[in-house]
Amino acid sequence: MLDWLKHINKEYPDFWKDYLAKFAKKSNRYVILSTEATGDSLEKDVITYISAFAVVNDTILIKDSFETILLQYRFLHDNHLSNEYIIESRLLKLSEPEALKTFIEYLGNGILVGHQIESSVAMINATLERLECGKLRNEALDIDIMHRKLNEITDDKELSLDELTDYYKIKQTPADSATEKAYKIALLFLKLKFKLGLK
Amino acid sequence: MNIIAGQIADFLKNYAPFNQLTSEQLAEIANNIRVINLEKKQTLFKINDALHDSFYVVASGVINISVIADAEESIINKCHQGTIFGLRPFFAKNKYKTTAKAREESLVYAIPIAVFKPLLANNSEVLNFLLENFASNLPEDRSTQGNIASDGFYTEKQSEVQFFQTLAYNTTPLLATSDNTAQEVAQLMAESLKNNVIIFEKNGPIGIVTHADLASKIATGRYPVSIPVSNIMSSPVVTVLENVSLAEAQLLMLKNNVTHLCVTVDGTDKSVIKGVISEHDLIAAQASNPGVLIKEVKRSLSSNELKEIRARLTNLIQSSIQKNIPLTHITNIASEINFAILKRAVELSILDLGSPPARFAWLSIGSQGRKEQLLLTDQDSILVFEDVAQDKYIEVKDYFLKLGKKTTATLEKIGYELCPNGHMGSNMMWCKSLTDWLKQYNNWMNATRENSDNLSSIFFDCELVIGELKIENAINNIISENAYNNNLFFDFLGNDALRKNSPLSFFKKFIVEEEGIHKDKFDIKTRALMPLIDGARLFTLSHEIKGINNTYTRFKQLAIADPKHSEIYLNCAEAYLFLTRIRTLEGLKNENSGQYINLEELSKNDREKLKNALYPMKELEELIKDKFQLTQFS
Repeated sequence: MLDWLKHINKEYPDFWKDYLAKFAKKSNRYVILSTEATGDSLEKDVITYISAFAVVNDTILIKDSFETILLQYRFLHDNHLSNEYIIESRLLKLSEPEALKTFIEYLGNGILVGHQIESSVAMINATLERLECGKLRNEALDIDIMHRKLNEITDDKELSLDELTDYYKIKQTPADSATEKAYKIALLFLKLKFKLGLK
Repeated sequence: MNIIAGQIADFLKNYAPFNQLTSEQLAEIANNIRVINLEKKQTLFKINDALHDSFYVVASGVINISVIADAEESIINKCHQGTIFGLRPFFAKNKYKTTAKAREESLVYAIPIAVFKPLLANNSEVLNFLLENFASNLPEDRSTQGNIASDGFYTEKQSEVQFFQTLAYNTTPLLATSDNTAQEVAQLMAESLKNNVIIFEKNGPIGIVTHADLASKIATGRYPVSIPVSNIMSSPVVTVLENVSLAEAQLLMLKNNVTHLCVTVDGTDKSVIKGVISEHDLIAAQASNPGVLIKEVKRSLSSNELKEIRARLTNLIQSSIQKNIPLTHITNIASEINFAILKRAVELSILDLGSPPARFAWLSIGSQGRKEQLLLTDQDSILVFEDVAQDKYIEVKDYFLKLGKKTTATLEKIGYELCPNGHMGSNMMWCKSLTDWLKQYNNWMNATRENSDNLSSIFFDCELVIGELKIENAINNIISENAYNNNLFFDFLGNDALRKNSPLSFFKKFIVEEEGIHKDKFDIKTRALMPLIDGARLFTLSHEIKGINNTYTRFKQLAIADPKHSEIYLNCAEAYLFLTRIRTLEGLKNENSGQYINLEELSKNDREKLKNALYPMKELEELIKDKFQLTQFS
């Protein structure tokens, strides 16, 4: 009789339990995250692309990276959009639940770093809620905020990623995919981390 | 594949050795790369750091590779985009020998050795590329073979030679048997000034006793001096074959942590002892190094040995010039070694003839006296001996003439030609007592007009080779005393300086020899160098600058002493250096004195430079004409 109550009291999926268990230890691994979404709305819009690089000991590990396109059939269908181009690309393609599951496994207890990381985290949290999971527990660092702190900027004007890369003289990449953004953020993060003297 | 990894692979593809890998291999490497960001002046690794598990490629920016030598950090390499560095972990197991530091904000890719090594096994070209560049430190090598920065700073080029360079070693080692006492062995060593004794039995060496053994076992009081030597010897002794190479001997010593190797007939300790190799022999064998050359000069016992050392000096000069070491440094080093050889030649004669009956001084004159002899040119010297009683005079003079003849003969064997004008200590005229010499100089300088026939300006550049310093001082004093306001003498020297034929024709063409075996060649010695040398001597004497014989430093000193004309002097100094360089290169090329330059073989650039180096001479001539009255002798 009370089985249905148990369900409401959040029986998390297994991967989420594993994820929570990882927080017993502190991490020295930073995960540089860049996501793409169809828009800003947490309810209506969905994530289409997740890219990440790991930074350990002040080095970017190219191998320890994450790159996935999310196949949002329902969203595309609802909005009468074509999915041809996504299907044809060679990149790893996963459905939303699977993609999130692998990402959570990849992320582990690493410290998240991104540009305007709050919105990415909020978007991921919204998606996780649909999968009956809790919210991300990871610490999150924003390179924009790090930049302000370093230069003691007080006004609220947010800097775009391009402005930041120009400021720190990081070479532009030919294209502008989420992966390239993540790589640029990683480089920015290394510079800022050194300059701020973070351990 | 990750898009960033793809971009990295595309980047690597442009540079050796990655351009020799397949795209799958490149992808594998790119996938495993770690990206490191270095801020300005940030250090990646420094000397004596433990080796990293990866080597590096510069992705952007500049990395300086430096070493610390003599407490001074000197940059040996600048790595630009695409350059490989930090290869040491591939080939060595010890620590970094260099420091890598970012000169500006830089990105480097770290390629894990573990990933790269398997690729090497299948690709010998890549392996060779890395090996060659690890071993060489020459910038010109890199330009032809791609970008790589070596950190094998201590592995010099000659290392390859070491593998077949054989060793000269002591072939008459001290021997003792195991029942000799420690005291007897020590006595043996002390008598023969050796620092080791081989202990043998009838079928070969069983051990060795060195200074170290005596110090640590006897001198500390652990054993009495009467103990049989078998108790304190180091055993077994490391044995090698007769024709062991330098590199191998070095390795064996390092591996076994010993200072001596015993040479036997078949390389085992069961055969006849042939000799002993000590650490000193290794150092001596590595010697194209000035210090060692001098040391060897001092030990050599025959003109043949000296000749061989002089040949090595020539090699040293040649390689130094090619490495663009400043000519003034080379001249300094070469003249030190030259002097050591001259000194040894005199010593050898003394060893032969018995000790001299009076004090004496052997002085070098001419180019040796000026300490600027790089090539094997002719020898010029004088011999001065102290005044002796009248009845002994003949006997003493006889001895020194013999000494002179013997020495000049030795020097001739070494390769210094006899002076065609007979300006040598073996000549009756130039082997005299001090009083006679002082008289001679007085005559030359005060009654120049009457005595000019046997006077040569080279007598005014002299330097002590061996003997009494007091005698040299006496000669120098008489020169400077007599030079004071001695216009007549200066006029003679001035005329002498100007008598040399001018190097350029009215149409600014080189004047070349018109006949003889040197037809169409340019006589750089008499037409270009001599006027500068004579000019420098003339002005230093008239400005009373003492103790400087070298033409280059003379000009430098003159620029200070006579600031009004300093520009002319400085130009002359530079011109002199350039002309010497041209002459030395020519001499090394043809193995002669380099007096005649074949203008055809010079590059157009060098020809122009040579022409330009002749202009300061004109100015110097004008200055001589201006300052001295030259009419009296002309």
